[in-house]
Amino acid sequence: MTEQHPLGLSIQNLTKRFKSDTALDDVSLDVPAGGTLVIFGPSGAGKTVLLRCVAGAIDPDAGQVLVGGEDVTDAPPEQRGVGMAFQNFALFPHMTARDNIASPLTAARQSKDAIRAGVESVAKLLKIDHVLSHAPRALSNGQKQRTALARALAGKPKLLLLDDPLRNVDAKLRFEMRLELPRLLADQGATVVYVTQDYKEAMALGDRIAVLNAGRIVQLGTPAEIYQEPATTDIARLFGDPTINLLDVTPERDGGGAIVRLSDQRLPLGPGFEQTIDHPCAIGLRPEALSFTEEADGVPVTVEAETPFNEKIVTLVTTLRGREILVSRPTGTPGPREGAARIVARPGAAVLFDRETGARIPPAPSDKAQTEAA
Amino acid sequence: MSDPILELSALNKFYNPGSRHQVHAVRDLNLAVEPGEIIALLGSSGCGKTSTLRIIAGFEEASRGAVRLKGREIHKLAPAKRNVAMAFEGYSLYPPLTVRDNIALALKSRRAAREEVEKRVAEIAHLLEIEDILNRYPSSISGGQQQRASLGRALIRDADIHLLDEPMGQLEPQLRALLRGRIKHFIKERGLTAILVTHDQTEANALADRIAVMEDGELQQFDAPDQLRERPANLFTGAFIGEPPMNLFTAQARAEGGALSFSLAEGVTLSYAEDAFSPELRALLNQQSAVTLGIRPHAVRIAQNGAENDVPEGARAEVYANQWLGDQSHVAARFAGGSIVSVEHDRTRYAKGDVIGVEIGVDDLHIFDANSGVAISHGGVVA
Amino acid sequence: MDHAPIWERWLRGVALILVVLFFMFPIFWILVMSVQTNETILRSPPSMAFEPTLQNYQALITGKLETQAGSLDIAFMQNLWNSVLLSVCSVALALVLGVPAAYAFARHKFRGSEDIAFTLLSFRFAPPLLVLLPLTLYFQDIGLADTYVGLIWVYQLICLPLILWIVRGYFEDISPDIEHAYRIAGHSWLSTFRRIALPLAGPGIAAAGLLAFIFAWNNFIFALVLASADKQPVTVGALAFVTASGIQYGQIAAAVVLSIAPTLALALYAQRYLVEGLSLGAVKG
Repeated sequence: MTEQHPLGLSIQNLTKRFKSDTALDDVSLDVPAGGTLVIFGPSGAGKTVLLRCVAGAIDPDAGQVLVGGEDVTDAPPEQRGVGMAFQNFALFPHMTARDNIASPLTAARQSKDAIRAGVESVAKLLKIDHVLSHAPRALSNGQKQRTALARALAGKPKLLLLDDPLRNVDAKLRFEMRLELPRLLADQGATVVYVTQDYKEAMALGDRIAVLNAGRIVQLGTPAEIYQEPATTDIARLFGDPTINLLDVTPERDGGGAIVRLSDQRLPLGPGFEQTIDHPCAIGLRPEALSFTEEADGVPVTVEAETPFNEKIVTLVTTLRGREILVSRPTGTPGPREGAARIVARPGAAVLFDRETGARIPPAPSDKAQTEAA
Repeated sequence: MSDPILELSALNKFYNPGSRHQVHAVRDLNLAVEPGEIIALLGSSGCGKTSTLRIIAGFEEASRGAVRLKGREIHKLAPAKRNVAMAFEGYSLYPPLTVRDNIALALKSRRAAREEVEKRVAEIAHLLEIEDILNRYPSSISGGQQQRASLGRALIRDADIHLLDEPMGQLEPQLRALLRGRIKHFIKERGLTAILVTHDQTEANALADRIAVMEDGELQQFDAPDQLRERPANLFTGAFIGEPPMNLFTAQARAEGGALSFSLAEGVTLSYAEDAFSPELRALLNQQSAVTLGIRPHAVRIAQNGAENDVPEGARAEVYANQWLGDQSHVAARFAGGSIVSVEHDRTRYAKGDVIGVEIGVDDLHIFDANSGVAISHGGVVA
Repeated sequence: MDHAPIWERWLRGVALILVVLFFMFPIFWILVMSVQTNETILRSPPSMAFEPTLQNYQALITGKLETQAGSLDIAFMQNLWNSVLLSVCSVALALVLGVPAAYAFARHKFRGSEDIAFTLLSFRFAPPLLVLLPLTLYFQDIGLADTYVGLIWVYQLICLPLILWIVRGYFEDISPDIEHAYRIAGHSWLSTFRRIALPLAGPGIAAAGLLAFIFAWNNFIFALVLASADKQPVTVGALAFVTASGIQYGQIAAAVVLSIAPTLALALYAQRYLVEGLSLGAVKG
């Protein structure tokens, strides 16, 4: 076996403009061979343009694309050795599912028998071997999606580009495929770039997630880093359902450390936040980090409405000053349905942001070791 | 219970009646809505939910059956005379009017005082976070904003019943959870009665007091959300409600030496003490050759280390995915020839290839007739 | 709600009949004229009482026209053949040139591409004489006047813009992702054009071809100016029946019937494609 280049994909300073719009602004990314990188962002962030630049369907204005260490920036799509699955499936409507899946194999001029065997093995893997003779319009949405995936996998590409492949299938199927995909991709051994707008897919599938906004990478990290230490309030709001609670606060000095007040109750911020005292901030509290309490030091709130949600119960409460907070708890655990209640935050769960810039304020480094020990 | 505010009796709707393409969109639907209730009509596309809503609103004529609102028969009345408010799936905002005028139109047309109109528009706009777009025209705002404006136009009215067709499908995801809470509070506080049509069970679960699950024009079950989850009437409802979906396995029940056991595929057996099941249910199970077992993902308990000796071989499963979503973990494992999914509310450490032990309590076992799909029992008691 | 009242349906029926009469009457009248002699045609007032005759058709097919003034040679069958030759060759050439051009305009937006495409279409708006006058002079200089090649060339003014605009709409309708997918699978752009774009735009290309054929067939002015008797298509050839001894209405009618028959048959056969192709072209254009 030839030695594999350590980087399955390397994108360097990629820039793309459409007339006056900047779709990609100096994007650089490395994906280790065999790794999975998720590109996540709202629609219009440039995710699809980025993927197309890698596939060769769009020519970038500046920057390089290296696949397995080889510069393919100027190579046509057919010479890049990538496989791609499209959000709208992009199946060839005038060909059967079999011919669709076979297209990378016919391009490689394989023998008839090799093509047949190749198609059938990947079709079996994706459980569509019984519909191979159907035309795309005779396939269900789920089967179309699997056919598109099979076509991308059939050529055994070293780099697999998946453009929001689960977008157009129903919730149940999306859930099943989300659980199935990692195993499927691991078996292929390919480097994977996965584009999605669904934060759950991003968290579930990515070794790392690149959050793209307005053509720039605004955060790159593991799912845990992005969920627990979002770089900005915008990113914090994109991950998590129900959305993170963001409340304007101004930390105060209280004894040794910094605290914030909610409904006149003290909420200690923990060590390392002394520098934020008297600075206008926003505090981020995830709904699952909040819970109802009987203790007298809980934050007094009024329960407005209870909305059950995916094995969770989400409660909308308002503080004494009318600020709205969402609190969630697992289904089956008790909680108030109406009237007055008190809530408490899990220690260390609060994230602090600068109110002006929206950037996260990390705890002061000198105390970081201490925080981790706690 | 008080008299129902809305009553559908033996409602039927045929499209293209008499022709080859006849479609029986709504089949003998009976439904009674209590005053102040929020009802969801839930089902996949083509299940008849939207037809039902349009019949209530008066945009479609019922082929057979009656619609009674506050005791009056309204199914022969023109839509404008029924006193119902509706938010349309396609928004249907009036393009030449600003968002403000769209919302205020119904109040203005009944000559409400100007101060009152202004006050109520401001209140609705605050609720739906559309204060800053009140003076814009529908064509210049995003889909999510149009949907909120359309919701506002329906909610502001003093109608006998509010009909909401896919009211939140296009909402910005970051706003959805918050608006659900606010809208539910708004409806409850004013004692409004609402019917929402949706294909999204998350929305139905979050908002509705009772959900009517429909499939193929037929009402499958009409019950409170927790009842639908804990006591599904049939396999369809059981599999349809719940996210992640219910784990399903085909099994044979056998009573032997004080134990009742279920044999699943690949030699997997679930055994329970006989007296965990009511005698009535045991008799029923005796007559069944095959049943379908349903277990909710959150009821699947994982015994830490399945390779240990104390886990019986039949209850072992091999993890193939463990996905942490921030607030939940979804663990999927190979089990009994299929897969079993467990939801944990913490971050779990299982890795691909780990062997785990699967525990399913009697209380969490749903048993369905394998042929008809009708529920036989929930938690050891006959359904 | 679904059922309109009786009087409304009745009124709709009457309106429909009126419209059909208005459009169908000329065709019907031509058919009637073509089976009458000049004498019965010219009766006043016109009457439907006559003995049908096939002598007009006979004269056209044999090429001998008998009048009071004597026998006259007519070249109608030659004209028919010219029409077929000119139309088929023009459409074929326009397809060869126009389809790849349409693909280029649909897929590769370059600076000025929209202007070029519009300029090509604008030939359709210009009065034909504007083009014809200079062309006649040039064609005589370079020896293309009164040749099939020259006529086919000029006919491109009719066929090419039509094919370009209709087919371009069809190509634009194909999701670029489908082509990208085929290329990423490892196929060259040429093979992508042949295996994906062409088959998927097939119905559009067929519609455009048919339409171009009909327009070419019905053309009158180009052939009138640029072709002599032996190269003339039927549209011009029918003029031969305006003779010194009078206008041969019967033969003209028969000639018209014969010359619209192929296009009418084609149009009826491909009606669905045509409407689709035309409306698409209209929207996209």
